[in-house]
Amino acid sequence: MVALVIALALFFDFTNGFHDTANAMATPIATGAIKPKTAVTLAALLNLVGAFLSTEVAKTVSGGIIREGTDGVQITPEIIFAGLMGAILWNMITWLKGLPSSSSHALFGGLIGAAIAGIGFGSVNLETLLQKVILPAIFAPLIAGLVAYVCTRLAYALTSRHDPETGSKLTQKRGGFRTGQIFTSSLVALAHGTNDAQKTMGIITLVLIAAGTQAPGTGPQFWVIAACALAIAIGTYSGGWRIIRTMGSGLTEVKPAQGFAAETSTASAILASSHLGFALSTTQVASGSVIGSGMGRKGTTVRWNMVGKIAIGWLFTLPAAGIVGALTALLVNTGVVGVLIAAIAGTGAVLFMFFYSRKSAVGHHNAVEVEEAGQAVRFAKKKAMARARAKAKAKAKAEASTKANATPQAEPESQTQAPADADATNSKETQR
Amino acid sequence: MKWLELLTVAGATLIAASTVVTLYALGVRLTAIAADAQQPSPGLKRSLAYLCFGLCGAAVLFGLYLIIPYFSK
Repeated sequence: MVALVIALALFFDFTNGFHDTANAMATPIATGAIKPKTAVTLAALLNLVGAFLSTEVAKTVSGGIIREGTDGVQITPEIIFAGLMGAILWNMITWLKGLPSSSSHALFGGLIGAAIAGIGFGSVNLETLLQKVILPAIFAPLIAGLVAYVCTRLAYALTSRHDPETGSKLTQKRGGFRTGQIFTSSLVALAHGTNDAQKTMGIITLVLIAAGTQAPGTGPQFWVIAACALAIAIGTYSGGWRIIRTMGSGLTEVKPAQGFAAETSTASAILASSHLGFALSTTQVASGSVIGSGMGRKGTTVRWNMVGKIAIGWLFTLPAAGIVGALTALLVNTGVVGVLIAAIAGTGAVLFMFFYSRKSAVGHHNAVEVEEAGQAVRFAKKKAMARARAKAKAKAKAEASTKANATPQAEPESQTQAPADADATNSKETQR
Repeated sequence: MKWLELLTVAGATLIAASTVVTLYALGVRLTAIAADAQQPSPGLKRSLAYLCFGLCGAAVLFGLYLIIPYFSK
């Protein structure tokens, strides 16, 4: 049972990684600041580093939502198993739909459902639930959206230049924001690594303590940290391209200045919240930022029906993961056969969704329409010259500096990637 | 309810993000000004631009400092 839970926890970490690549990397990919493959490599490395950086572990992952301890209930490996199952399945479903949704909320939902089914209604602390999950879910996108809106306005106001006499536009070099995006998105990726890998480490440690193989009150063992870091990095590297598509081009059209404003707001919101004690979900902050920056630029439309879909996804996260968690908990309570059935059904569902996704594969080559910008600048130079000579120049410069910055981390990647890129460009061409 | 904490987070986010964006945007604007054809002192503008970018980088490093618990203890 313990081994099974650890395997499941690591798989959850993996889904968490690929679900959340989009938070950090969707906008730089969309503006062409970083090439898609380079972006996920960078994010994966930073997640790996981030997971090792922080050794402070939350004693309980559920953070008091489930009453525990002497006066409450004991969380058993069975409940964690059921909770993880719910979280993983919901992560897979939202990934299939390309919806960015909070992995932590899915985990909370799964654990709550499992606890209710396995122990009873009294095991859930409703007030903590409201305070830790529901209110942040409302305010995270609002705060991030507002800040991103203000920042986008600021960025455009400060860089807008007009000739005082003729009123014609002067060069604005807004492409310069691309370079900045690399740093801000890296910050988001790093913050994600320090936060999210911790959850899985906490779970595994909890299970080990519950099983009696580790002394209570001790931190995670090194192999646990290493395994979690690796799992989240591999997950990030495999990239949730469907979600990147939604965040990068499904919500609104993202320009470099907007992307920079959105990334900065995301990074500040996450840092501020994790240091001032009002935890906000990375995913919800990032989505809110993208929407806010979409509203901040004149001439951009926000696709509100997509926003609605995402909001509905968030509403369902808790109950849906909870129901799966509850069902699994009921199955598991019947004994070993139940555990086997749950494990097999879960694996089957995940495999089914994986193969179903192959029908309309979304990969680095077609994740974001604008994604070609990263590669397109090469041939866009000619095209853009016709449109705006100055703009093209700024782009090329930004591209050059972007490359100079990006190559150190991406060296092994870029070699193997060259043919793939050519492929992507070709297929794009034929599609047109 | 932790309304005060919520407000603090919102305020801190707004201040931090707008500072970084303002600095970076000024940097971008100064780069653009320095690149103008009839610019009397492109060197000065350019170094001012780099100063802006540098301050912005410092803000990001401060963020890193906050993330990594090793430093904040």
